[in-house]
Amino acid sequence: MNLPLEGIRILDPSQVWAGPTCTKILGDLGADIIKVESARRMDIARGDAHNPQIDQGMYLDNEPTDKPWDRTGRYLDRNRSKRNICLDLTHERGVDAFKRLAMNSDVVIENYRQGVMARFGLSYEDLRQIKPDIIMVTLGSQGATGPEVAYGSFGVTLEQTAGVASITGYLGGDPSTSGVLFPDPLVAVASVGIVLSAIRQHRETGKGVYIDFSQREMTSSILGDMVMDYTMNNNIQVPIGNRHRTFAPQGIYPCLGDDKWISISVENNDDWKALTQCMDNSVLENDPRFTNTEGRREHHDEIDQHIAQWTSQKDAFIAMEILQLANVPAGVVNSGEQLVHDPQLVSSGFWEYSGRGPSDSRPYLSRPFQFSKTPGATQLPAPLLGEHTEEVLREVAGMSEEEITELAALGVTANDPLSFK
Amino acid sequence: MMPKINDFTEGKTLSNVASPLDGIKVLDFSQGISGGIATKMLAVMGAEVIKIESPQSGDISRSRGPFIDNIPHPEKSGQFLYLNMNKKGITLSLDNETGIDIATQLIEWADIIVENFLPGKMDEWGIGYSAIEQINPAKILVSLSPFGQTGPYKGYRGNDITAQSLGGLAFVTGDPSREPLQIGGEPAEYFCGLSGFSGALVASTYKEISGVGQHVDVSAQAGIGVAQMYSGLSYILTGKERGRRLASSPLYKTADGQVGITLRQTDWPGVCEMIGRPELEHDEKFKDMDAREKNQDEITALIAEWASDKKKQDLYHASQERGMTWGYICDAKDLIESPQYQHREYFVELEHPIAGKLTYPGLPMKWGGDQWDLKPAPTLGQHNEEVYGSLLGWDNEKINQMKNSGIV
Repeated sequence: MNLPLEGIRILDPSQVWAGPTCTKILGDLGADIIKVESARRMDIARGDAHNPQIDQGMYLDNEPTDKPWDRTGRYLDRNRSKRNICLDLTHERGVDAFKRLAMNSDVVIENYRQGVMARFGLSYEDLRQIKPDIIMVTLGSQGATGPEVAYGSFGVTLEQTAGVASITGYLGGDPSTSGVLFPDPLVAVASVGIVLSAIRQHRETGKGVYIDFSQREMTSSILGDMVMDYTMNNNIQVPIGNRHRTFAPQGIYPCLGDDKWISISVENNDDWKALTQCMDNSVLENDPRFTNTEGRREHHDEIDQHIAQWTSQKDAFIAMEILQLANVPAGVVNSGEQLVHDPQLVSSGFWEYSGRGPSDSRPYLSRPFQFSKTPGATQLPAPLLGEHTEEVLREVAGMSEEEITELAALGVTANDPLSFK
Repeated sequence: MMPKINDFTEGKTLSNVASPLDGIKVLDFSQGISGGIATKMLAVMGAEVIKIESPQSGDISRSRGPFIDNIPHPEKSGQFLYLNMNKKGITLSLDNETGIDIATQLIEWADIIVENFLPGKMDEWGIGYSAIEQINPAKILVSLSPFGQTGPYKGYRGNDITAQSLGGLAFVTGDPSREPLQIGGEPAEYFCGLSGFSGALVASTYKEISGVGQHVDVSAQAGIGVAQMYSGLSYILTGKERGRRLASSPLYKTADGQVGITLRQTDWPGVCEMIGRPELEHDEKFKDMDAREKNQDEITALIAEWASDKKKQDLYHASQERGMTWGYICDAKDLIESPQYQHREYFVELEHPIAGKLTYPGLPMKWGGDQWDLKPAPTLGQHNEEVYGSLLGWDNEKINQMKNSGIV
């Protein structure tokens, strides 16, 4: 089967979430991803494994073994379809090896704090000396310039500083962050297109480019309504719970069982009529206060009570089926377990079996898109630390066996971290 | 004083326009947020995007606010204006054979076709992927939909909150003692559209090498399935549900809003210093993570009291200068006034013929030394003469005839 991105090579010292998820998707689609880590500083996503209390660091098989860094759930999910080289970039021979890899790569993607790549001697200008048409992407929290360039952030910080949290929260309540660190996957998915745009430009013009990509700005870019409402009207939007600014009613309502819920969204008058008929509630259907969106918004609380009364007698899936058959937008609020068994996701092949060997037969997340002729899939399970060091140095950097042995003897390459807390 | 001859006399180097997708032709049948952002990304990066709208009502975003002065007007919708920069706008009615025939001729022109009708609608009109492939197998069709083009839910209605629900995001967001909560601002629609942008470029990258186009099927539910990650993966790896929980970066009230305080193990001395209680650093009650966890309520009370009369931005900067990763809640005004955004000139001003001069979020990346060339969204049918004239060779008489018959 052909893969759409075959022939593209990406040198990837990025870490944690956004960068690795971007390169995972590119790798699933055929790009050769060389993940660069060092024995001094592994990808942080490997690191929570020392503490089994922290569930983000869940081990494969709940079994840390003597190499827990190769077995954390979030590392495994974000790093499949890559080769892995363990290289000390604080050593000149490590820097030299990186440059030789870069000479035979199309793109370098990195998300170190501002200045770190330059300290290694691996800034865009440094790399351009040895490969004038290199494409380099810096996925900075705040971009690569500006007074806050050195500021750190996690996904949860970006939700605050980019503006998402200011309009997330219960109606009448305080702003709130999400439960999922939304900015990271958002940046990851958008940067796939950004990287490919640079590759397209290179094919057309032969020119490389330095892309200074700001994760905070990317996150603000999904707030068109909120920003425009302010720049047009000086209106500062606040949280509206599960409601919608145009549709009414809209909400998340309780269903039969413990912690079971359904979302229902009435986009127009036809939806309202259909919903009230599903609820077999002709009083509601004929109430003149509710015949248009403005009226329904005005009496949203009252309507919510009626809907909740109906949904709380119903199984969430049955309620969704009843409503969807009547053409009303409605969706079960899937938990993690329900998501794995979701009929639509299962049927469309969303879950991907990319584990390492027979002990890991579990499904992992795939991609938001499918390609009819070049589907793409997991190419390799998430690599062990330094698993492909020799192979990559030989094939991509063109090193001799002597050089490779020497780098290992110097400790520039390694298969175990220097310290692991 | 010598008169200036031209701009070059000032010694400025005029920078180039960034246009990495220059030469790619996109025909855009889509509307709303998902379609809007997908083709906007292609357009601002240099692709030629021709957007088709219905002659009567236009893109659905035109009827959704926010509106200037809160008065609904199809040319004054902030949502439409933001999502449709750099596109050429034409009108075409698709509910008749002539309209479909014209659409087919425009498809012949395009490299990439984007749509977000209900799955099956394009086929019904005879311009679905199999018809497009017959016209030319190099063409790419990008379909955005709530649940994808196949599967048991393909015919279901969906929008942002259904995707956040069925994609597993809402379940883990919000207060554990209350109902699940959506993220505000319709992020699932944006995520779907940005996936469409990236998906279009994956297919385009392959086509440029192989000459083979294909159908790209983007699902909003699958997008949120990717974005939620923790919830599904927690269950898969541990067999346990991850529920709603209090944030890892709890928010504290300040005099003017909130700050989000992330307390990593190494942050404690910095916190003691910031709140003016350096002696607490070695206090038995707070000496390590376990002790601090046990006395979390006391820490929370200490910080809450201290923060309550401070300014959120002062705390944000002070913490970051000490190497701690705090955030502050930015509303739209804070974003516009952010020194970081101002320095990077993230916001841009554009003049629109009817909406006037407005400030918009710009692009989230710098492209070498080149500048983005951003243009305002089209008015309804603004480019009818230009597009139909140059692509289909229509003269004024033909355009008028099509206008009078309601097709354009």
